[in-house]
Amino acid sequence: MIQRHQRIVFWCLIACIVGMGVLLAVERQRGRERIQALGDATPLDAPTAMTEAVTLDLANDTDGSITASSRQIALPQEANSRARALIDHLIAEYALPGSSHPLPSGSAVAEVFLLPLPVIGHAVDTSAAANSSGGFKATVPVASEDPNALKPKEPGGELAVIDLRSTFVNQHPSGVEVESLTLLSILGTLHANLPQIEQVRFLVDGQARETLSGHADLLRTYPVRDTVSNPNGGQLNP
Amino acid sequence: MAPCVFVLATLTGLGQTAPRKSHQPTPFRNQHKAPQQPPAAVSSVPAPIQINRMVILLDPAHGGLDSGSRISDATVEKDVTLSLAFKLRSLLSARGFAVVMTRDADRPTEPNAEGSPLTLDDRAGIANHAHPAACLLLHATGSGNGVHLYHSELAAAPGEPPAEPWLTAQAAWVPQSQRLEAQLAAALTRAGIALVASSASVRPVDSLTCPALVFELAPHGEDPDSINDADYQQRIAQSIADALVFWRNQVQPPVRLLSAVRPEATTAEQVTRPETQP
Repeated sequence: MIQRHQRIVFWCLIACIVGMGVLLAVERQRGRERIQALGDATPLDAPTAMTEAVTLDLANDTDGSITASSRQIALPQEANSRARALIDHLIAEYALPGSSHPLPSGSAVAEVFLLPLPVIGHAVDTSAAANSSGGFKATVPVASEDPNALKPKEPGGELAVIDLRSTFVNQHPSGVEVESLTLLSILGTLHANLPQIEQVRFLVDGQARETLSGHADLLRTYPVRDTVSNPNGGQLNP
Repeated sequence: MAPCVFVLATLTGLGQTAPRKSHQPTPFRNQHKAPQQPPAAVSSVPAPIQINRMVILLDPAHGGLDSGSRISDATVEKDVTLSLAFKLRSLLSARGFAVVMTRDADRPTEPNAEGSPLTLDDRAGIANHAHPAACLLLHATGSGNGVHLYHSELAAAPGEPPAEPWLTAQAAWVPQSQRLEAQLAAALTRAGIALVASSASVRPVDSLTCPALVFELAPHGEDPDSINDADYQQRIAQSIADALVFWRNQVQPPVRLLSAVRPEATTAEQVTRPETQP
């Protein structure tokens, strides 16, 4: 005759054995799925890019200077996105409290397009060498009868077309100095990090606009160059 | 017979007489809209560039519906530039200068049809017709402090070519503009005014055929309304007027370059247009 408490212990042990068996089966299934997931290359989450050192040319309204400053930021590899991310990081620096060149926060650039120079359908203006005024290669439209009009002529650097957002431009402070510093800061930052860019043109919401905020010319093509000045760089040396 | 005489006269250098008026290269208002004439192939002696040493051009920026930048709740740029221009005009007139202003009221001058606004090209045209010793484009801002001086960003050209494009007409004058900038900068520094001097691309400075500077007035303290301080503006205007007195004796117009001679085109043009020549 088996006593009652012995029967209870027996069935408890049986329940534990069954429970452990079920747990073992579940964990085994999870382990199998985990191993299968490692072998699956399908991207599910956005990859985390490695940060890299970039140079931002930061403007200072007080003395009109531009100084180079190094930052560690993650940038995409594709050149157009890289240029856009650089400018967005630059404008974000200016939107921080206490900035020496305060600008409105928010995304400033809708898109950046990089075009090989000379622009397709255009050729280098050889007659412009004598009276070149901007320090860069002038281009003229290729004649329509040219059978190779759609091929780049003498490819070299790139033209960056920066499409600014009107929300940024409309809130930009107005003034010769503050507008010029914004443009020079963008040009200098592109020069430091994307040396293949030789020229820059600006659009606002995809349209040509006369000035940034009433002063700095947005209709011309700007040659990209080193815009860094020393702490007294804005001061004239008579 | 006439074509032969003309060709012979040109080839033997007899055409190097007084320049014709049609070869005047100075860009005036809206010249860039007109079709560009091909450079004439006559190697005549170019006329010296005219300059009126006793004329100063002041361009108070903005005006009318264009208020410019908002410096404070009660101050807009167009009023500050006009106020500074009036002070400058008084001081310059007292020193014997003739002052040409692109506007002397809130509403810009209307050179064309009634109601038409004064464009930036119109302002450049007024300046170029006056042949002044200096062109000052007056601006004002609430950022920074002191005075900001800018000359054109164009690369300096060795001289004024016969057919200078409208948008780069300032190139030949850039060296003179830089010298003027240095003189004004020295005068303002002596007066204890904080100064930033650099180059900028601000229309219509690139279209001016005179020593031209963009002059931006900023507050002299933390308070943006300090830009309206009459003593502050007077001190700056005094420094500029004194510097311009010295400048009028130093300004030198750029040389006028000869047109490029294209032998093959020369012959063709002369043969096809003989009747137009004297």
